Amino acid sequence: MLQDHDIYSISNKILNSLNQNNEIKCSEVFFDKTSYINIEIEENSIKYSKLASERGLSIRIIDKRGSLGFSFTNKLENKPIESIVKTAISMMNCGTPDPDFKNLPLLCNSYPEVKGIYDEKIKDLDIEDSSKYIDNLIRICDEDEKAISQSAKFKSSYNETYIFNSNGIELYGKDTICSISSNMIVKDKISKQTSFGFDWQSVRNIRDLDSERIASNALEKAKQHLNRKNIKNMKAPIILTPTGTINLIISPIISAINAENFQYKRSFLIGKRGEKIGTDILNIEDNALINGATGSSCFDDEGVPCKNKKIIEKGIFLKQGLLHNSYTAAKEGIDPTGNSIRTSYSSLPSIDCTNFILKSGNENKEDIISDINLGILFEYSGDSANLSTGDFSGLILQGNLIENGEIKHSLNNTMFGINLLDLFQNISQISKEYQIYGPYSAPYVCVDNVQIIGNKN
Amino acid sequence: MKINEDLKIFDDKLINKFNNLSNHNIDYWDIRAGYSTGNSIEFTDNKSKEISSYEVIKCGIRTFTQGGWGFVVVEDLSRESLINNFKKAIKLAQLSGSLNKFKFNIKESDILIKNFEIKNKIPLENIDITEKINLVRDHEKIAKEFSPNIKNTLTLYFDGIGNDIFLNSFGSNIIQKLSLLRIFSSVYAKKNGIIQRGVNSVGGIGGFEIAKTKKAKEISLLSAKEAVDLLDAQSPIGGTFPIIMDPKLTGTFIHEAFGHACEADLVLNKESILEGKIGEKLAHENVTIMDDPRFGRGEALDLPYELYGSYFIDDEGIPAQKTIIIENGIFKNYLHNRETASRMNFKPNGHGRASSNINNPQVRMGITILEPNDWTLEEMIEDTKDGILCEDFQYGYTDPTTGNFQFKARLSYRIENGEKKELMRDVSLSGMTLDVLNNIDAIGNEIDFSDGMCGKGGQSVRVCDGGPHIRVKKITVGGLR
Repeated sequence: MLQDHDIYSISNKILNSLNQNNEIKCSEVFFDKTSYINIEIEENSIKYSKLASERGLSIRIIDKRGSLGFSFTNKLENKPIESIVKTAISMMNCGTPDPDFKNLPLLCNSYPEVKGIYDEKIKDLDIEDSSKYIDNLIRICDEDEKAISQSAKFKSSYNETYIFNSNGIELYGKDTICSISSNMIVKDKISKQTSFGFDWQSVRNIRDLDSERIASNALEKAKQHLNRKNIKNMKAPIILTPTGTINLIISPIISAINAENFQYKRSFLIGKRGEKIGTDILNIEDNALINGATGSSCFDDEGVPCKNKKIIEKGIFLKQGLLHNSYTAAKEGIDPTGNSIRTSYSSLPSIDCTNFILKSGNENKEDIISDINLGILFEYSGDSANLSTGDFSGLILQGNLIENGEIKHSLNNTMFGINLLDLFQNISQISKEYQIYGPYSAPYVCVDNVQIIGNKN
Repeated sequence: MKINEDLKIFDDKLINKFNNLSNHNIDYWDIRAGYSTGNSIEFTDNKSKEISSYEVIKCGIRTFTQGGWGFVVVEDLSRESLINNFKKAIKLAQLSGSLNKFKFNIKESDILIKNFEIKNKIPLENIDITEKINLVRDHEKIAKEFSPNIKNTLTLYFDGIGNDIFLNSFGSNIIQKLSLLRIFSSVYAKKNGIIQRGVNSVGGIGGFEIAKTKKAKEISLLSAKEAVDLLDAQSPIGGTFPIIMDPKLTGTFIHEAFGHACEADLVLNKESILEGKIGEKLAHENVTIMDDPRFGRGEALDLPYELYGSYFIDDEGIPAQKTIIIENGIFKNYLHNRETASRMNFKPNGHGRASSNINNPQVRMGITILEPNDWTLEEMIEDTKDGILCEDFQYGYTDPTTGNFQFKARLSYRIENGEKKELMRDVSLSGMTLDVLNNIDAIGNEIDFSDGMCGKGGQSVRVCDGGPHIRVKKITVGGLR
């Protein structure tokens, strides 16, 4: 077993040896360990149990020209480590100069405190304990007449991160996360139609895990999408469910305000900073400091302190509303926002949200629905908006007709198209109710005047 | 063949130990372990963004009893750690087995004791990192200089060499050495506020010769040209039209909309429209579809390397083989791994694949092919009154329980009175998978393949799909116009 002090001594040794090289401007050692349990259900029966622990380290160095070298290994013996130090240097020597690369993050005097992101019970969970969460999932499917099958997953993981750099950063963090998902398959005995429904949850503390609710939600969604019919073309309001809101508003905005996409001119929000892009009720923030939330963290994966950032306020896309890592921030001459993310030791830092919140509104979701004469309830499309133009045109994989204020049959082969900038301006109502899915917090959102393409002659 | 030092730990003595531990406790086990090295290079706008190198070892022990599986990821490949983890894996299988409702046994298959190695024309080990970087640099330059409208270029290069061992309780002992290489080019062009993108890639199993082929050398130019051409393209008009799909789109269609439904794990889980359909007529009688990931197709296509989706054995030690899925319109076979084959009483056909040695194999495609027939593209166009020729795809998705799909083509051309007309962009096609298979009324005579990574259940594996141009009588087209 690799001990804590081994990691400190390996990392310091690497940084010291890199320090001898005059070409190198700054260097970083990133180390992570993760151990996890995975249980998979297929055909509504336990299929797989998996135990794993993985760890590894990567070296990131930048020379005085701004050229970057990167290498990683999970063989933590002297020889392979010496070899990847050498290859990192040779990688760095072949890169192009980049004057935009200023420095790796500096050590800060203080880091924020976030509570509730580590749960001893998840760390110590064994596979027998985990299977009781699965029992609930299986039972919900077994007990329902229409449910014919379910695939589901349970995963709990304990993660430790160590970040060392030549600017004096020496940080250690640990967290836990536990996720459950259910994909329920139902069949209508009379029409023989089948359909699926999907729901999931991700939590920091095992006591918040509610497998019964997830399976019930998946079942309800699956049933709601039986009885599919074609509809006629129309221009009508669409109500996005929380999943629909993530699909159509939250995910595209996260990509569009990623500073890297912005700087490479790939975002449809270029030129909109400081402008009003949505109705007054559209408010969005990215807040890393919510106790117990899955996107929360004290520092990001480069060692920058995390914080809460307002992105859109009363429909105005704020000038400072971009998500940055240290590189993109330096390029703009501002402080990094603490949004640097690595999937593991084997990846370079990229940019992502922390906890991304579309603020809930004042209306009851029932009232929003009952106000609609003719419209669509949208849950899910496999499609996503075109990042550079904001155009969305997609097939509704899960959605229902709303008629006279009531949710009616589900939709067959129905598409809709809208540009997101129009969509933001057409948001007429946002519900009080909201759902948290991992790092996303999403209410029901009503969008007026959407072109819907049905297939009914 | 030289065996990697780290893998020498798996000697007869250790294998005997595993067999003794498993005796009477579990019904089956297999172990995959591998040592791999490689490089990634990413350039954007002529600047290096990532130049990296890795050296990793990964090992997974899988165990089975009574219909349940156990899996343990091992990070320390010492004898002691392997034995301890093997014991853990036995316990996990027993737990899964005790909770599983579907009892069955893994059917015994032929024992395979073999070493596989590909002789590369230009081994990656002999190529200096600067040569790889120069290659990426050249692609960037070609794309950037193509037109003043080019606003952003991205070139990705990655290669890898893997040394892997597969062992199982039936006595198979397989060692393989493979290397692969892939280059990807993405180019954005902008004019009058319109942004368009071109994307192309080439990948294969082999050495640096892959990067030196004509096809590989042209990807950046092609991406740039596509992005610029699309700037002046029209938006499509919605409606129902005859559609001619090019080989790339044909391949994507048979992979995404149809191929996944043939995966027997989805069939057992009632997530496939093809449950109970073996022997039924599902497609026009000229349609034959197969999956054949065996090596050798590269040579047949006059390529100096093997196709990206090729493999010797799948990740359960079953040799790659040709599986007929649809023959002259009749549905013949599902794709299987060891489990689905055992349960459904078929022979496994080599489709148990995992994204790495630390993931469990799922049922996956390899190289999926729609067989060519006798039409030329010219004849197909001449024979079409009011239709659309759709080339390549941006992305696509399918509802597995209904077969309702949507694909977005990258480049599309209007066909009017037998003539190819103006270019359109963002043509999206939607419909039901089985309707399309039945409505194929012309199949071209020239086949081509594209390569990519296919994701399922959080794992991605390298695949190819291909076919000729095909014409479908009618598909619904959605557009903003």
